[in-house]
Amino acid sequence: MDAIVDRFIQRPGFDEDVLAKEEMLDIMAPSSVPTLSLPPISQPSAFLRAHTDDASNPDVRIKIAHGTTTLAFRFQGGIVVAVDSRATAGNWIASQTVKKVIEINPYMLGTMAGGAADCQFWETWLGVQCRIHELREKSRISVAAASKILSNLIYSYKGMGLSMGTMVCGYTKSDPAIFYVDSDGTRLKGDMFCVGSGQTFAYGVLDSGYRWDLTVEEALALGKRSILAATHRDAFSGGSVNLYHVEEKGWTYHGNHNVGKLFWETKAAESSFNNVSTDFTSDD
Amino acid sequence: MVGFSFDNYQRNQFLTAKGYPVPTATATGTTIVGCRFDGGVVIAADTRATEGDIVADKNCEKLHRMSPSIWCAGAGTAADCEFVTQLISSTLELHSMSTGRAPRVVTCLTLLKQHLFKYQGHIGAYLIVAGTDPTGPKLFSIHAHGSTDVGYYLSLGSGSMAAMATLESKWKKSMTKQEAMELCAEAIEAGIWNDLGSGSNVDMCVMEVDKPAVLYRNYRTPNERSTKEKSYVFARGTTAYMSERVRPTVKPLAYDIFEETVSSTGGGESMEIDG
Amino acid sequence: MSDPSSINGGSIVAMAGKDCVAIACDMRLGMQALTVSNDFPKIFQYNNSFIGLTGLGTDVTTLSEVFRYKVNMYNLREERDIEPETFANLVSTTLYEKRFGPYFVGPVVAGINSKSGKPYICGFDLIGCINFAKDFVVGGTSSHQLFGMCESLWEPDLEPEDLFETISQALMNAQDRDALSGWGGIVYVITKDKIVKRLLKTRQD
Repeated sequence: MDAIVDRFIQRPGFDEDVLAKEEMLDIMAPSSVPTLSLPPISQPSAFLRAHTDDASNPDVRIKIAHGTTTLAFRFQGGIVVAVDSRATAGNWIASQTVKKVIEINPYMLGTMAGGAADCQFWETWLGVQCRIHELREKSRISVAAASKILSNLIYSYKGMGLSMGTMVCGYTKSDPAIFYVDSDGTRLKGDMFCVGSGQTFAYGVLDSGYRWDLTVEEALALGKRSILAATHRDAFSGGSVNLYHVEEKGWTYHGNHNVGKLFWETKAAESSFNNVSTDFTSDD
Repeated sequence: MVGFSFDNYQRNQFLTAKGYPVPTATATGTTIVGCRFDGGVVIAADTRATEGDIVADKNCEKLHRMSPSIWCAGAGTAADCEFVTQLISSTLELHSMSTGRAPRVVTCLTLLKQHLFKYQGHIGAYLIVAGTDPTGPKLFSIHAHGSTDVGYYLSLGSGSMAAMATLESKWKKSMTKQEAMELCAEAIEAGIWNDLGSGSNVDMCVMEVDKPAVLYRNYRTPNERSTKEKSYVFARGTTAYMSERVRPTVKPLAYDIFEETVSSTGGGESMEIDG
Repeated sequence: MSDPSSINGGSIVAMAGKDCVAIACDMRLGMQALTVSNDFPKIFQYNNSFIGLTGLGTDVTTLSEVFRYKVNMYNLREERDIEPETFANLVSTTLYEKRFGPYFVGPVVAGINSKSGKPYICGFDLIGCINFAKDFVVGGTSSHQLFGMCESLWEPDLEPEDLFETISQALMNAQDRDALSGWGGIVYVITKDKIVKRLLKTRQD
């Protein structure tokens, strides 16, 4: 941390030659980690936390968008990825139409939970790294390698306030793979993950309906239904469900499903959600 | 039970200790002024009530009647101004019934300051007290801790600096009633325009010796909202609802009277209430 | 940590119309992010006065019982129904009694005076300062959103049926921008001789 700060303090001011030389170095080493400029204070991470962490201090002025439910699972027909679309800043619903699936390239998807900007920036950057790998190695990058690039990058910023919980989903040759990567530096391979404030609700539905030999149609329905359950119980998840199916040939988008309508359709079709009554429960 | 109840106090202290912040009460981020003139005194106030950065009430009443010829303008915590004023005005009424005289402004001032001092500033009322009594027109201010001031012209509240700027530059000794009213209105307007905690309209009360006090509610309305050019009424049937209950309003209570006795209260004569 | 009055969530709005008033609330009771119940109405009726109580759930329940008791006592002593204006003062003094240990609530009162037939609405802060309004009053975790909705949608002299649409749309659109309110809605439209209560079909997220 201090080493990073020192690097910036020692940087020569506006010496054009040195700047040009540094730019050249950046271009010559395209896979090197980009450097984020830090505020000129002794403890940038403490500063950021003091001004953005609304969990420990509700009076903070800068509220970073939080709250999400995202899921991805592997099954016989590939991978299903489903996410909600709500962004909140404190109790304020900042947006109901956020794209929480980041299309890294036609073969790989990343999901977004935690800091929206962090996920968007670094997963787009990951896309660049994947393309560079393809050009260099003349073969598509494995999901394991891609997720490791992301996880190593995140780890280099550990403790500095990045907030991400993401799933990197794609195919390595003919094998579907999901890697969970978060800002603590965790990187896990697995068959099924739910991430975000509504993860427990999604797991509840997903666990009860999951089988390896689910048909594609069943799997998509299960993903959608799990997110719906989470949006109902979690205040910070909602808006709509975005559905994706990943296969060997690449991913396909299976639409945006507004929860406002989806909820009542599901309730009528399944006779479920009986906690929501359509008539007065007391007679007064 | 008379007086405050501290039933929830311990619970709330516990909540505060756990790190839950205390919600804010309505504070009258306010401009209030008072000014004496020949033969009387006038007080005025703006009409904005705020809760944090929200305007909770655009036309609230900050002028309180203490007795028919003594009025009070309040700044600070809105509920405290309302209740301290109500409490002392009833004490004042009982006092005047007992003495058979109209209450004096100093009596009102003393009751208020002693009450506020007792509560050591926890009752957040900042008041300008004005009125007329047999000793003439009077004008005072009281702070929440119980200190008082006397003056020919006074201002209080978050807009007091703006108001005082006007008063200091335009006040002169022995003004007419009309001059004093215009000066006060102008001072409040200075608060309305230049203080973010004050706004909307000017309320005013004029108290002249040997005359009933006159309240000018919305003496000036410099912030009238224009009527909407378009109606935003939704077509009937826009809102979906799943069930409906229609009930007649509750009929007035009917009590069966089985027996009634009327007896004298003993004194025979009705109580004298005005000396 | 969040404010005691936004742990459980919930919102209230009341509006005055032409010889009518309306009061509406959401149905959520939560614990921070978790929605515990979607059947928690916040409007209570005492004689022909209505009160909406938002804030800390435990205080909403406690106060609704305190007011039930106090209005019953009033009925027995006075041998008549309580009028909305009187009830508002009862609410105000009850809250101010707890000036130094307040209930964490934001009440709203609505009703029609049985003698004059005049609509009456008012709001309060947590220590009982009455906010007399002739147009609308709001309370709860989506009060900022409700202020915006009401300022734009409300207009004078709305008929009961139009008032229903206006208050319902104000409530629903405000709570759709608040994470802690929603999960249903109840609207009362009160006229001199009838009370219409409706359960709204709203988003459930």
